This record gives sequence, structure tokens and C-alpha cells, in this order.
Amino acid sequence: MQQETAEAGRWENLKLSISVFMANKSAVVGLIIVLVYLIDALIMQFDPMLLGIHHPDVLVPNFLNPVPLPPSPQHILGTTYPGIDLLTSILKAIRIDLAYSFFVVAVGASVGAVIGIVSAWASGMFDEVIMRITDIVFSIPYLILALAVGFILGRSLWHMSIALAITWWPLYARYARSQTLSTKEYTFIEAAKAAGVGRTTIMFRHILPNVLPPIFIQISLDLGSIMVIFSTLAFIGFIPSANIPELGYLTSLGLNFVQTAPWALIFPGLFITIFALAVNLLGDGLRDVIDPRRRG
Amino acid sequence: MKLWVYIVRRLLLFIPTLIGLTFIVFVLSHSGGTNLVLAEYVNPRLTGEARTLLIQKLTEEFHLNQPIYIQYFYWLYQIMQGNWGYTNTPIFSGSVVTAIELFLPNTAMIAAVASILIWVIGVPLGVYSAVNRDSATDQVVRVGSFSLYAMPIYLIAVALILAVGVYLKILPFAGVVNPLLVSNLSWYHNGISYPTHIILIDAILHNNWQVAWNAFLHLLLPSLTLALATVASIIRILRASMLEVLDQDYIRLAWSKGISAKLVYNLHARRNALLPLLTLFGLTVAFLLGGAVVIETVFSYPGIGYWTTQALLNNDVGGIMASTLLFGLILVSANLILDIAYAFVDPRIRY
Repeated sequence: MQQETAEAGRWENLKLSISVFMANKSAVVGLIIVLVYLIDALIMQFDPMLLGIHHPDVLVPNFLNPVPLPPSPQHILGTTYPGIDLLTSILKAIRIDLAYSFFVVAVGASVGAVIGIVSAWASGMFDEVIMRITDIVFSIPYLILALAVGFILGRSLWHMSIALAITWWPLYARYARSQTLSTKEYTFIEAAKAAGVGRTTIMFRHILPNVLPPIFIQISLDLGSIMVIFSTLAFIGFIPSANIPELGYLTSLGLNFVQTAPWALIFPGLFITIFALAVNLLGDGLRDVIDPRRRG
Repeated sequence: MKLWVYIVRRLLLFIPTLIGLTFIVFVLSHSGGTNLVLAEYVNPRLTGEARTLLIQKLTEEFHLNQPIYIQYFYWLYQIMQGNWGYTNTPIFSGSVVTAIELFLPNTAMIAAVASILIWVIGVPLGVYSAVNRDSATDQVVRVGSFSLYAMPIYLIAVALILAVGVYLKILPFAGVVNPLLVSNLSWYHNGISYPTHIILIDAILHNNWQVAWNAFLHLLLPSLTLALATVASIIRILRASMLEVLDQDYIRLAWSKGISAKLVYNLHARRNALLPLLTLFGLTVAFLLGGAVVIETVFSYPGIGYWTTQALLNNDVGGIMASTLLFGLILVSANLILDIAYAFVDPRIRY
């Protein structure tokens, strides 16, 4: 009986969450855009022929006609140097950008969250040392640190994402730490301790579920920024000249044609901006759902 | 806690941060499996016997035959002596310290102009948009700052280049100065101006107003890009904190005393709303530095950031490691100054 009411309560709660989210029109738009990007990435991964694309992993240059062409029926968004069709390249690039951004956020968030929770739970000297380390990592601008790490590892997409993950975990460590510190003070943790529940169990069964939702929001917000930074690194030359479909790299291909072919710069950049905007809108909506004070 | 106790404590905390920062850079230059210290300090133009001799000398100076954790201290000693190694990039080849001397003033100049623009654009817009909440202007400002916030910096640069440089043709968007203007000047050689290395200031010092004006025009677009990239978060935070302040009792008291709207907003509310911005200042410095890398690359503006990307593209260890260290040092010091300034302004911080 009690089980059933709990189940019903949870269902009610979910319904309320959905209605709160749906009431926020811009968040819904954000969600739809993010879903479109995701679907595109999945199509590129599993069945690129659906959109008539033969090589989802590489750019297809056309050296016979390398100068950028304006948008036309054959090339809906025009072409960029050297004769690369922009629309198909952008569709391919979305998959690569999304996948690597996911990787960066997932690694950064899980490493950071674990370190943050453990550090807040352990407190004392260990906590102090971890926080100093995050301070120090924060003291280097992330773009520079990523450049340096990537330089040591060698310039490639994988190394670029590893470099970004290394610069990103302290943010999550701090975030998870502050969440844990406030959760630690709740009465139910006190009760669990009094009931003789072990430290590890409290940490993973009672604290973790309370720390995770805000971290998930941070992740959803960061996905946009990571993609922006990822493309920025590629833009300033992190990817050695290779035929990799990546939005920042695509933008940089058009850079020498800024006077004659603005579309080669505008379209790839537009697709990054739209995604980053959509992710931010989505994150705002999710925050409304999780923050009880903002629930109507 | 007294103010000086706080400052001393903050200064003491500065030391482990510095050690950690240098340690990270040191570890980075060793983490590829090979010791990059030699690559960093050997002038790549040196060949033959001189090179062998130099390597021997460096091995002795840096104690390269000792364990790594001991090497760190010798390396740190050399860094503190001002021996930062060699850089070899197309835009500059020579000692790192000279490179920093040449490039840092330009970056500082962009950052300075950008900071002025940030205040000039950000503070009025943020305040206005909070005071006229939900008005048409507020909506435009919010959407605008939101989009700027989401845009990659290089895209803001590209958009400005397209709009102002290519279509309107009113501002130049590459380099620091029109090369034709400076070809025969006594104080300008090989793209380096003397004595301050900032061509705008040098031109003013030499009373050459034509060059100064041209250099100033070249400075505008990069600075504006940097300012726009940073101003979005300033506007957002200022708007939020202004709204919070406007809701407080003492503002209501000011209204009920019959003080004019102008005074309430400008004197009572804005001052308190600006406090959170101070905290943001540290973040802004970080953002300005990171943004400078991208912006200088797009505008081919010879600052520290441009040098860093050139070093990356040309596999130049000295340049990369030195700029990582330099950027870190600037940011750490900025945070130190900020913390102390904050303690001055807000006594609650000290406790």
C-alpha cells in the first residue's frame, strides 16, 4: 500500500516536472534543437546514406573547383575551400563535435564529481590539498592549458578532448564539493549515521543522488560551452591540416575568403552558435524543474 | 581580523599557488616521455660543436643527470633568474624574455582598450535593462547578451570583420598598422616599434599623428571583439544584481523620502550592484587572456596570444611553456590583487 502511494507520488512529481518544463517555451525550443542535432549525429553514425552522404568521417574536397561557390541548388549552403560542400560537411561535423564534446563532459564531470564528493566527505587535510590543486588548475586560462597539454600530447582530435577534460574537471570538483557540503548537513544524513550506516554507503546511496541532479544541469549547460571551446581550438589550428569535418576547422577553411565568400564563415559558425544557445535554453528549463523555488 | 593580517595570509597562500603553477608547467614539459628542457633552451639556430657545448653547459646548469624532482628546483632557479629559454616561430625567433617584451605590451593594449569598452558598454546597458525591466530594450539587451554569450569568440571576430571591415570598409582588420605608412620610419624596424613596442604610443611619442591614428584604427576591431565577448556576462550579472538591490528596503526608503529616480538609481542602487562585478573581474582577466589568443590569431595582431598559437603550429616548446607560465602568473596575480581590493571594499570578506 505504502509502496503504491510512493509510486503514485513519484508519478505525480514527474508529471509536474514535465509541465513546469513545457511551460517554458524557450526551453522546449532548445530541447527540440538539441534533439535535431542528436538525430543528425545518430544518422551520420548509423546510416549516412539516408541523407545521401558517402563518407561521414572525412571532408570531400574538389580540387577541380577549389574556390568557394555561393549557395545554389547543387550546394544549398555553398562551398568552402577547397571545393567542399558546406551543408553535407556541417551535417558530418555535428556528429564529430557532439561525440567529442560528450566525451570531454563525461570524463570531466565523472572525475570531478568523484573527487569533489570524496574531498568534501573526507574534509581536513585531503580536502585542503584537493582544493589547492583545483585553485592552481584554475589559475591557468583553460584555453592556454589545453594548448599546452595538447602540444605535449600531439595535435589530434583525441588529444584535444583529453586536454579539455583535464582542464575541465576542477570545475565539477568544486561544484560537487559544495553540493556535498550542504547535503552533509541534512538531518537524514545525521539519521543514517545514527542508524549505523557505513561511510561508503552514505556517500553513494544518500549523498550522491542529491548531488547528481545539479551536476547534470551543469553538464547540460557545459555541453554547449565545450563544443564552442572545442571548435575554437580547432579554429586556431589545433587540428593539423586534415580532412576532418569539424565546425571550427570548417570555419577556418573559409578565413582566407572573408572578403569574397562570407557564407563559408557564417554557416559553420551559425551551427555552433545555435547549438550553444539551444543548450543554454534547455539548461535554464531544466534548472526550473529541479529548483523547487522556481516551481509554480 | 585586521586588514594587514588578511593581506599577509593571502600573500602566504600565493606561494603554494605559484609553486603549483610552475610545477604543472614543469611536469608538462616532461610528460611526453622526453625531457623538453633541452629543446626549450637550445637556440635552434645553433649547430655543430657550439650546439654540443651548449647542451653540455645546460645539462650542468639544469642538473639534467639528477632525478626529476631535483631538476625541478634547478629549473625554477633558472626561471627566477629570468632564463626562460628560446622560442622559434615565424613571427619571432630568439630568447623568450625578448619575445615577451615585444608582444606583451600589444596584448596589454588590447586588453586595456577592451576593458574601457566593457565598462562603457556593459554598465549602462546592464543598469538600464534592470531599471526598465521587461521593456522592449530590456528584451533586446537580454537576447543580445545571451547570443553573444553562446557565440564562439572567433565568430564574433568574423562577424565584426564582415560587417565593419568588409561591407562598411571603415576599419582595417589585419595587423597593427598599415605597412606603407611605417616603411621609412627611424623608430620602426622589422615590425617592431621603439621604445615601448606599442606602435600607437610610440607614434604619439614621436609626434607622428598619421601613424598614431592608423594604429588606433587597427586597435579598434580586436578590442571591440574582446569587449563584446566579455560584456555579455557582465550585463547578465549586473542586471541580476541590480534587480536584487532595487528590491531592498533601503531603496524603498529612498523612494519614500522622495529622492529623484536618477539619484536612487545612480547613487543608491548602482554602487551596491557593482560589488558582485568586482568578483567577476578575476574571471574577466582570465577571459580577456584566453580571448586574446583567439582574437590576436584572427586579426594577426602580434601579441602574446598570436605568438602562442604560432608556437603551437610550429612545435615550439619554449613558446608554449613560457606563455602557459606567463598567462598563469598574470591570472594568479590578478586574483591576488582582486582579493585584497575586495577586502578593502567589503570588510565582511576578511572574516
